[in-house]
Amino acid sequence: MRKEQKMLIFWLVILGLLVGFTLFSSWLVPFEPNAMDMNHIYEAPNGTHLLGTDQLGRDVLSRLLVGGRVTLFIATLSVVLSSIIGIIYGGISGYFGGAIDAVMMRILEAFLTIPSLVIVLALQAIMQGSVWRMAMIMGCTGWFVTARIVRSEFIRLKELEFIHMAKMFRTPLWKILFRHLLRNSLPAIFVVTIFNFAGAIFTEVSLSFLGIGVPPSIPSWGTMLYTAQNDLLVGAWWMGLFPGMFIFVTILCVQAIGSRFKQRGGQTHV
Amino acid sequence: MIAKWIGKRVIMGTIVLIIVSFLSFFLMHAAPGNPAAAYYGGNAQTLSTAEKERIETAFGLDQPILYQYGVWLREAMQGNLGYSAKEGRPVATIIQERLPNTLQLVVGTLGIVAIASTWLGLQAGMKEGSLIDRGLSFVSIASSAIPPFWLGILFIMVFSVQLGWFPSSGMKDVRGDGGLVDRLHHMVLPLSVLVLAHVGVFARFLQENVKAEKHRYYVEVARANGVPERAIRKMILRNAIIPYINYVGVTIPSFFGGSIVVETLFGWSGLGQLLVKAVMVKDFPVLMGAILITGVVVVICLFVIDVLMICLNPRLRRGGIV
Repeated sequence: MRKEQKMLIFWLVILGLLVGFTLFSSWLVPFEPNAMDMNHIYEAPNGTHLLGTDQLGRDVLSRLLVGGRVTLFIATLSVVLSSIIGIIYGGISGYFGGAIDAVMMRILEAFLTIPSLVIVLALQAIMQGSVWRMAMIMGCTGWFVTARIVRSEFIRLKELEFIHMAKMFRTPLWKILFRHLLRNSLPAIFVVTIFNFAGAIFTEVSLSFLGIGVPPSIPSWGTMLYTAQNDLLVGAWWMGLFPGMFIFVTILCVQAIGSRFKQRGGQTHV
Repeated sequence: MIAKWIGKRVIMGTIVLIIVSFLSFFLMHAAPGNPAAAYYGGNAQTLSTAEKERIETAFGLDQPILYQYGVWLREAMQGNLGYSAKEGRPVATIIQERLPNTLQLVVGTLGIVAIASTWLGLQAGMKEGSLIDRGLSFVSIASSAIPPFWLGILFIMVFSVQLGWFPSSGMKDVRGDGGLVDRLHHMVLPLSVLVLAHVGVFARFLQENVKAEKHRYYVEVARANGVPERAIRKMILRNAIIPYINYVGVTIPSFFGGSIVVETLFGWSGLGQLLVKAVMVKDFPVLMGAILITGVVVVICLFVIDVLMICLNPRLRRGGIV
């Protein structure tokens, strides 16, 4: 048990460091992230440019830190949005049950069948553009699993004694929904939200890598990899390696933390 | 009982397809500007008002939307998906060229992943606490945190640029005859990226099932009665594989999602690459068709998984809970 605690703290510290560095990147970056320096293009990692420079002579480390802010911002915003939609959808479906539940669940199953990347692509085709839009699109397509979890939690909880009691005392509906049902499902929602966050980073990075996510002019971990394939052919391995490392470590931390909470939830709950 | 169950699944599949078709049809209408402009994509500015009106009557765009949807659906059912706004060729033909390539990639991945993860998961699950057990847990967490395209970039870096063993993109050699060996040679990198991205998670899933199954009462009884280890192994696998196959079914959509990125990275001209290209150049007829066909393929795959489940799980055959 103690070892597990230590691991959790370890992952939290690494994630905290990453988030901290990206949040305060404006003060930390050694170079202006969009400043071009044509005399120093494709420089391998060295003393001045710790992680090298890209095809326009921009400092890779600076862009990585600032880009992390974009990536994490999109992921956070989309997860907040998807959680809200998921809680509302799953809550309605779980609490009212019956025919409403059946119809809503069939629709949800249909959505889960379509590869989410395809839905995002389709939406991206008609409203391509800014960082905000990207977060909106991902939020609108990422709530399916949350909705399912919320529904099953609500179904489990609403049959418990204290809810029956609350109904008997004529507790207003909103109070039952928010104070009792929602509050008690928060641990489960928290876990699924953590995994959604990792998934959101994944989606942003993939789309931006394909060139249809964040506009290539804005540095994000995905857009930095957009040109990596060509850069490799001229031998600039650092362009492909480092953004990927950041993505990998971030997702690893988030998933490790998520599975730790999942285990803990499993022990105290069911 | 089976007929009823299959019927239920077919209805479910139909609902999915209706939603997919809605999505792909209304895409065109949600596009900025009017559908006629969307059809012509980037060339829309060159059209005059009279021309736009002519196009609208020609395509029936002045009719109510639901009527248009009905007509479109009827045509789509008969295999007419319209014409590409960029290439001018029928969308159905374009997709027909692309679909086999994607299927080769996805089916190949699925096959290798299924075999490798079953073997790995069983090995790791049976020897609790061994090196392979702990190793697999670690590898599966690590592999699920690596974006497949980045793995692909690393592979290109090592195997194409450094070692020069495998081509970094394309489907056939320019000089080659495009035979089977050539095709396989080009397939190695995309296939191994897709396999590596999935195999850890699947093996882990089976491993945990095997572990749970191993401590069940029937295993103890069988062992106490001197049933040979091989037979016990078979029993455990038989029981552990049912939720595993269900899990494969649930993740099939993500295989197609993953193939979109990997196809684009390796220049594999399949459905995924077509989708990405269509989004980039705003070729809406192709986009609509490709989304629709992806939906159809996923539904068919899920149906195959369902049939497999019925074959493997006798409880389902007697009409038990799904």
